[in-house]
Amino acid sequence: MRPVVSWVREACAGSARAGAVAALGLPVPILWAGIAAGIWFLGNPWAWTAPIVLTLVATLLTSRGLCAMFRKLVAQWTGTVIPGGHWEARPVTRMSTGYWWNGYSYSRSNKEAAEDQRLRILWHDPATWRDLRFVPIAALAGLVAAVPFAGFVTAVVGFGVVSPLLGVAGLVVAVGSAPYAWRATPPLTVRFLRPSRAMLLAGRVDELTAQRADTTVAQAAEIRRIERDLHDGAQARLVSLGLALATAEKLMETNPEAAKALMREARAGAASSLTEIRDLVRGINPPVLTERGLVDAVRALALDTPLDVTVSADALPRLDAPIESAVYFGVAELLTNAVKHARAHEARVSIVLDGAVLVVEVEDDGRGGADPGPGGGLDGLRRRLAVFDGSLEVTSPEGGPTRARMAVPCGS
Amino acid sequence: MRILIAEDLYLLRDGMVRLVEAFGHQVVATASTGPETLDALLRWRPDVSIVDVRMPPSQSDEGLRAALAARREAPGLPILILSQHVDQLYARELLADGAGGIGYFLKESVFDADQFVDALERVAAGGTAMDPAVIAKLLSTGPSRNRLDELTEREREVLALMAEGLSNQAIGKRLFLSESAIGKYTTSMFGKLGITDSESDNRRVLAVLAYLNSPG
Repeated sequence: MRPVVSWVREACAGSARAGAVAALGLPVPILWAGIAAGIWFLGNPWAWTAPIVLTLVATLLTSRGLCAMFRKLVAQWTGTVIPGGHWEARPVTRMSTGYWWNGYSYSRSNKEAAEDQRLRILWHDPATWRDLRFVPIAALAGLVAAVPFAGFVTAVVGFGVVSPLLGVAGLVVAVGSAPYAWRATPPLTVRFLRPSRAMLLAGRVDELTAQRADTTVAQAAEIRRIERDLHDGAQARLVSLGLALATAEKLMETNPEAAKALMREARAGAASSLTEIRDLVRGINPPVLTERGLVDAVRALALDTPLDVTVSADALPRLDAPIESAVYFGVAELLTNAVKHARAHEARVSIVLDGAVLVVEVEDDGRGGADPGPGGGLDGLRRRLAVFDGSLEVTSPEGGPTRARMAVPCGS
Repeated sequence: MRILIAEDLYLLRDGMVRLVEAFGHQVVATASTGPETLDALLRWRPDVSIVDVRMPPSQSDEGLRAALAARREAPGLPILILSQHVDQLYARELLADGAGGIGYFLKESVFDADQFVDALERVAAGGTAMDPAVIAKLLSTGPSRNRLDELTEREREVLALMAEGLSNQAIGKRLFLSESAIGKYTTSMFGKLGITDSESDNRRVLAVLAYLNSPG
């Protein structure tokens, strides 16, 4: 009994799906078929100009929506998400001349410019033509999906008018094909609607362009920071050292006590400028990182952080220096956040090599509420990791704890 | 002398105050931002002011701009610019008004306290004092570098010191020569380069700097 129930259920579900595919895929092709039949049987193609134009417009207008529906259905039924890959509208800007520039041409008004841009994008976007090409494919899927219904109709006609034999045949076809008729749709949709290689590459190019811009900005900011640190720090300290010595020299004869005090100050100044340069060097490239690699550098960092930090780590091979550096400063930033913003007492850092992906997790017991929004420190970290195709995931509910996970492919 | 010191880093401001006070000068005011500097320059009209180029709020060339603005209000107000680096560009901007009373030095020039205070006094007297680094660059890469080939080694040395703002007497002291010997070098040098000599030391320096800066 049970197989029959499950068969019936599957047949019902399959019929519903097949019905949806047929209802979506067939109307427009049926119009075209009607026109073709009309020309074939009635002759005089010119009399059909108006219907042809109207159907053409209908095809153009519905193709994009049709494809969107097919994608949605396939995603719902099989879980395969097919990206649309349509071009986005670009911002329309007002020029100093008062005209509006939409990336293609100038217009008098904002609305005109936006409309013009919409049409141009529609025309130039390869996705538009791919959607149009899908109309006959949808018809094919619709025809296959229509088999059970055709069988059912045949059965009704057979039992009622022609012969029971035809009725039985129709019924067998209808019931037998019901659970399967829709199954042709997902592979067809995936095959013909997935973004082409060129579109994927174009997307990747956009991604890389954004990353390069981010890197350039980050690099310039870093160089400015170093220049600033040197200018206000070590350089200024050395000048002040020289000043103190010059003054002491002058005072040597007139006020030896004051001169001696200045010399002591100068010695202290020399020591602190050394400390400053050391800190600066550590901020550019920590010596431990160069000498011992990521794991030991993070251990050293943990010792310097005013938190109880537990570091657990796989034995790592030496990775590419830029990746080591990015991850190291990532950990440093996350630990600084734990101290400064989350007011944590303890933190755990784990460094694992998962296949060819370096996974570093930093977890603290602080009060959470970290903001990963654009422009923040975490966003900056995410961008720096993105340069290596890495990613950053942060979960930080209000009240804590904060968990951050950096993953960077490292090709070793 | 009554001196204003404009410098944003406390360490340096403090060191500078002690240095000039050790030489018996009086610091009438200090400033640590660009707007403060401009304000103090115009209110106190000090005999000479020591101004840092880079200052808050923008951490750009606030000090330099304050100095230029003050000299537009009070032409010839003696100012000595101190900086971590010296650039031809800034030197030209400072000299552009041709009024004298300008100095432009690297911060480490204070290490030689006597020479520094000497330069400070020269600027206060309306003279010009340029860092040797600026002049050396001007001689080797400036627009007039090709025209200097005719000069002898010694004449170039004298020219450099003159461009730094030293008088014949001071140049003589620096090179261990008599003042009259320097006078002879100057005359022959000016003849070769076609610079009109001038009675006033300061106008002569400005003429030399203008020559070195002029193309063609």
